[in-house]
Amino acid sequence: MPNIAVFIEQRAGQIKKVAWQMLSEARKLTDAHGGEVWGVHLHAASCNVNEDAGKHGAHKVFTAEAAEFDRYDSELWTQAMAAFINEHKPDVVLVGSTAMGKDLAPRLAARLKAACVSDAVGLSWDGGLVVRRPVFAGKCYADVATRGDVAVVGIRPNAFALAETGGAAEAATFSPGLDAGAAKAKVSAVETAAAGQISLTEAEVVVSGGRGIKGPENYAMIEKLAEAFGAASGASRAIVDAGWVDYSHQVGQTGKTVAPNLYVACGISGAIQHLAGMSSSKCIVAINKDAAAPIFKVADYGIAGDVFEVLPALTEAVQEIKKG
Amino acid sequence: MKIAVCVKQVPDSESRINLSGPVPELDTSSFTMIINPYDQYAVEEAVKIKEKLGDGEITVVTVGAEARVREMIKKDCLAVGCDKAVVVDDAALAGADSFAVAQVLAAALKREQFDLVLFGIKAIDDDASQVGIMTAELLGMPHVGYIGDLELKDGALTAKREIEGGVEVVDSPTPCVLTCGKGLNEPRLPSLPNIMKAGMKPVEVLDCAGLGVEVPASLTEVKQFAPPPPRGECTMIDAEDPAAAARELARALHEDAKII
Ligand SMILES: Cc1cc2nc3c(=O)[nH]c(=O)nc-3n(C[C@H](O)[C@H](O)[C@H](O)COP(=O)(O)OP(=O)(O)OC[C@H]3O[C@@H](n4cnc5c(N)ncnc54)[C@H](O)[C@@H]3O)c2cc1C
Ligand SMILES: Nc1ncnc2c1ncn2[C@@H]1O[C@H](COP(=O)(O)O)[C@@H](O)[C@H]1O
Repeated sequence: MPNIAVFIEQRAGQIKKVAWQMLSEARKLTDAHGGEVWGVHLHAASCNVNEDAGKHGAHKVFTAEAAEFDRYDSELWTQAMAAFINEHKPDVVLVGSTAMGKDLAPRLAARLKAACVSDAVGLSWDGGLVVRRPVFAGKCYADVATRGDVAVVGIRPNAFALAETGGAAEAATFSPGLDAGAAKAKVSAVETAAAGQISLTEAEVVVSGGRGIKGPENYAMIEKLAEAFGAASGASRAIVDAGWVDYSHQVGQTGKTVAPNLYVACGISGAIQHLAGMSSSKCIVAINKDAAAPIFKVADYGIAGDVFEVLPALTEAVQEIKKG
Repeated sequence: MKIAVCVKQVPDSESRINLSGPVPELDTSSFTMIINPYDQYAVEEAVKIKEKLGDGEITVVTVGAEARVREMIKKDCLAVGCDKAVVVDDAALAGADSFAVAQVLAAALKREQFDLVLFGIKAIDDDASQVGIMTAELLGMPHVGYIGDLELKDGALTAKREIEGGVEVVDSPTPCVLTCGKGLNEPRLPSLPNIMKAGMKPVEVLDCAGLGVEVPASLTEVKQFAPPPPRGECTMIDAEDPAAAARELARALHEDAKII
């Protein structure tokens, strides 16, 4: 019967939503198969994750406090998580596949000599953990079994729904056993993005533009629609390579993987490498003047029309609805 | 400066995935194999560093069947500026998971003192994003993952990496492991004369025994492959009047899908 530890990630005191999603899913597993769900949280200043963690399914929350935890450091975070795992021996450790989690999980697993699976979208228990994850850019899924005392599993943000079926979590602390001398690579500064800019990988709604927008000057049309939705703005590789927008906007195999509630693809053909980055979005809207474009194969709603005619009207209509 | 670059051969992303049999198995016969696109950024970065410093040596390391990776090593690595290659070819490594591959790479990399070890951020077949960082841990080296910018100093480096809502600036001494992706540079193409000359560069082929290690066991195992979950039918909205179509879409997202 598995005890599942969930890494409750914070950056600058902000908790990542994927932590609550992982707790919710972990609780489903332990309710069905026994075992407990443990939140594990590293923080620098007094924190208050217990209530939220309990609500989302944690039986216990273990916290460790150290001034060093005000900024991510792969070595120190690895030390702390390894100390927790060696002391409490969970069977499974879930880590969100965020910028931090993708950095932490492989290092932690290698230190523990543990199985490591990344970017999971499904978890099941069949005498042992079975992890479902997309491979080959999402063209197929693999069911992966793990061996050994503990498995470190990365979870794709938004793969699991939030559930508030838990109660109060018991609070506990643990010693992270830090050896700051071992940390060689150090984060010396964090440059924050311009205020109001929504991070692509965390956005609930993403509006992306492709070559159908014809020129860099028209990306503003995408940004306007994104603003109306309260969305982040994305792009196909074609327009990133053409220099119309910065690479940080690129969605796809060689860009970012997003799984928002709503993905709006405007003037994007839907090449397999683009789909790799967005096909697990909950609802996909495609606007493309070619009714045969492959993007419509993955879309839930489609308009076979001209983005120059549809987008301004859509922006207005969304603004209307948002106004209430 | 001594630089190592770890590269993997992967199926081209256009490759069709065929699942066959009662337990869906992957039919790999039709795959076109290429260098992992991310590893090209690692190769290019190594070559740029060597060109900038005006000296150094770049060693390519790959785990894979020599007969299959030969062309990739020559054309995509040695012909664009890498100096030599190490190929770990061991049939017992077929199906090895990330951690097993990392252990083999660590053993191969330990044979020399590298100042920098470069990886791609992920292989586009298993999409794992693990091997580089695991290898760093096994080598006892620090790492900076998914760098977007790199500045080398004497015995140290500063790299930038994108995080949600910002950029982290990371300082590290060398030796250090870096994982590379798009945005870092523009990989160059090999020229015909350079491909010819690359044939003369040394390629060492060995197996695990030759490296002095046992074949590491994999801790993960793919039980089966499955097709991606089907998506529902697409509701096409009549686009005769684009403005009306836009309003209908907004209404559907609001009232039917309840997303906005
Ligand atoms: C190794 C590799 C990695 C890759 N990685 C990525 C990646 O990460 N992300 C990515 O996106 N791509 C990636 N690609 C590229 C990918 O194959 C496609 O080339 C790219 O996605 C195409 O971008 P697009 O849809 O904007 O352009 P196009 O394919 O040119 O499509 C433009 C679309 O706009 C439509 N259109 C034109 N005018 C209008 C109009 N006025 N109104 C409405 N619609 C209009 C057209 O019908 C067409 O469907 C990768 C390719 C390779 C080989
Ligand atoms: N078989 C291999 N041989 C050499 N390098 C590899 C191999 N597999 C993975 N790598 C390296 O590790 C990176 C990440 O791979 P992965 O963790 O499988 O996504 C790749 O971009 C390569 O740089």
